[in-house]
Amino acid sequence: MSARSFGSLFMVASCAGAALGCYLVSLRVASERASLEDVESQIVTTQRDLRVIQTEIGTRGRLSQLERWNAGAFSLTAPAANQILRGSVELAKLVRPERQVDFQAPVVFAAAPAPQPQRPLAEPAAPDSTATPSSMIHQASLKTETREVPARTAVEMPLTARQKSADKPVTAAKPAQFSSADKPGLAAAQSHAGKAAPRASAQVPDAKISHKKSVDKPALAAARPMTKRVELAKTDPLAPLPDKHPGRTKETPTGR
Amino acid sequence: MNAPQPALVAPRPERLRLVGQRRQMLAVMHQRLMFGMLVYAGLIALIALRILYLAAFGDHAGRKEELTAFIPDRGDILDRDGQPLARTIDAWTIAVHPNKVIGDKLALAQKLAQLMPEHSAEQYFALLRSDKTFFYLRRRASPELVEAVNAIGEPGLAIEREPDRLYPQTTLAAHVIGFTNIDGRGGAGAERAFDSYLSDPSTRGTPLVLSISSKVQQALEAELGDALQHFSAIGAAGVVMDVHTGEILAMTSLPSFNPNAPGQATPDQMFNRATLGVFELGSTFKPFTLAMAMDSGVVSGPGQIMNCPEVLPAYGHLVHDTHPFGRQCSIAEVMMESSNIGMAQIADKLGTERQKAWLKKMGFLDRVEIELKERGRPLTPGSRWGPFETMTIGFGQGIAVAPLQLAMGYATLFDGGVYHKPTILKVGPGHPLSPGRRVFSADTSYRMRSLLRLVVMKGTGRKADAPGYRIGGKTGTAQKIINGRYSQSINLTSFAGVFPMDDPRYVIVVMLDEPKATPETYGFTTAGWNVAPVVSRTVSRIAPMLGVAPDMNREPNMGEVLPFIQEAKKQDSSKD
Repeated sequence: MSARSFGSLFMVASCAGAALGCYLVSLRVASERASLEDVESQIVTTQRDLRVIQTEIGTRGRLSQLERWNAGAFSLTAPAANQILRGSVELAKLVRPERQVDFQAPVVFAAAPAPQPQRPLAEPAAPDSTATPSSMIHQASLKTETREVPARTAVEMPLTARQKSADKPVTAAKPAQFSSADKPGLAAAQSHAGKAAPRASAQVPDAKISHKKSVDKPALAAARPMTKRVELAKTDPLAPLPDKHPGRTKETPTGR
Repeated sequence: MNAPQPALVAPRPERLRLVGQRRQMLAVMHQRLMFGMLVYAGLIALIALRILYLAAFGDHAGRKEELTAFIPDRGDILDRDGQPLARTIDAWTIAVHPNKVIGDKLALAQKLAQLMPEHSAEQYFALLRSDKTFFYLRRRASPELVEAVNAIGEPGLAIEREPDRLYPQTTLAAHVIGFTNIDGRGGAGAERAFDSYLSDPSTRGTPLVLSISSKVQQALEAELGDALQHFSAIGAAGVVMDVHTGEILAMTSLPSFNPNAPGQATPDQMFNRATLGVFELGSTFKPFTLAMAMDSGVVSGPGQIMNCPEVLPAYGHLVHDTHPFGRQCSIAEVMMESSNIGMAQIADKLGTERQKAWLKKMGFLDRVEIELKERGRPLTPGSRWGPFETMTIGFGQGIAVAPLQLAMGYATLFDGGVYHKPTILKVGPGHPLSPGRRVFSADTSYRMRSLLRLVVMKGTGRKADAPGYRIGGKTGTAQKIINGRYSQSINLTSFAGVFPMDDPRYVIVVMLDEPKATPETYGFTTAGWNVAPVVSRTVSRIAPMLGVAPDMNREPNMGEVLPFIQEAKKQDSSKD
């Protein structure tokens, strides 16, 4: 009886419960949708901000501005036709094979004079470089002698001069270097007068001058070095190293 | 006790009647109540249902419908690589309501003059005292200025944001993009041509993609601008076009203007020389004459020999050459040395009617077919088109076309002879390739390659060569008409080139209006000296970007023309 009398009530309650449940589901969906829309609107706002920033960057870094910067500062240019390669084969073509060491090359002494390219700076070395290896052996012993005894025999002096020009670290011998530097001229006058000229024409860039001078002043050169050496030692004791001195290349030919 | 017992009293008839009435009334009342209740319940049910419906499907209070998709107030314009060329941004606008100003107007005018010195304090004061209800003080104001104006604290000042059109690349491709007027409507260029697309809410969300490539455009503008300045020319125009699709990759007209401030531009700057201006472009026309003649069978090929006298008397006039042959010469030589006499004879053989038909077919007698509204009408001799005019048109004098039309003609000639409508829109899914129309035969197109390459290798266009890119082309120096007569000293020089010539892909046309001689040109003002180097430099810059691989070992089939060159003269490229 009770069940029958409360039947309608249960029906109402269950209906209300179901409706409430449905409503809650719908409410939940609506809130989810709302949050989704919030995210969407955030995305749109961010997109708009991005646009603003992109536009600003694009405007500041516009192509005409970049071109101006390039013209003023970077100076970048378009690659030339030969700078553009079409594949790894072309790239590989650019690489040169490493040069093989020639084991058949002649043995060179550690005390040998400086190689060819350094010679234009120190011209007096040019005629001497052709001296026989035996003359080089004297270098070490002659070095100190040159400093202490400026006036040496004409045959020995060129050897010291050559040695000085090659051995830069000797700084204490500055005045003596100058005095010795004059010697090659003397040597050229006396011992190499005849044969120095043709050799120099093959090795020294300004061969003509040296050739002419060595021919013109064989007799004068013999007397000159003595006076000149003394002058230099007196006037400029702190002069720089001979092979760096610009005036030296001028002086030596006159001596020759 | 006498009181009657109610139960014993028989109901009086009127009373019985009353009872019946009462019942009736009660029934009616019940009905009404029931009806009212039903109505009430129905209303409640309706409201409840509506609430339920809204809860399930309706909007909620916090919904921002307008923000779910970003649609600008006016559509963006992008270049072919997606770089923005025109955008709408929210700009600050400073305005004033003079009748709402409560502070001291004189002090306000002084402050405004200090912040915005384009007007004096007196002018601001006069504006503030005027009867106007509203006027703009500054549109597109900088944030600093807005901040400073806001700091004045005058309620009459209105600081608002309003959509404004911004062209980030400023003057780049200004004539192609155009500008918008103060109402936000397109005033020129693509802005005008596609105004409805850009402003329609249903389409403006999708940006308009142009065929222009900013990088190519910049290279062309920079090189042409340098030449304009260097040779003190009064104007210049340039077009770079895709041979196969008719897409315009770059198009410029100098002097240019800044579309961000179109009000400051002069009419000369606004004038689009590439599409609206028509010019007699001179010898750049010669390849067309030759192609027409070869296609019509008038000329057999580059090896045909013809008479090239020092001066050609024709129909009561004399045709001259800058460097006359004075001998028999081959067609290849006529092209290489740009001989007017040779080309006039070829045009004469072709005849007026055939020439007209060919020019019509090529689209040279009508306005250029392009989306832009600024299109010039070609100038032709019209009713005076006789045999002599045919001759002069044969070498490019007597007909005036837009530089874009010239580029279109070269694109047609080197796309196997097929004409495609030029377009400023990128060819792609939204904008398919326009249907082609055959103008020249494929064979003629092929044979022209080596002839035009010859001009650059050995002829008048040597300075246009860019090593590795196989440029072929033709110089053109046209005398300008000054006071009704052809001037001997004032020229209009042009160069129409195609690269790479062994498989043509791009056309480049450059033009300089009234270039002056410089020491480097030895006093010459002809195309070989001033525009040809522009082509060389521009192609060296743009070809790698366009994917044209440089190759020193490739050339068109020069064996077709080289045997017909009598002597390889060493002379400067001083001719047109």
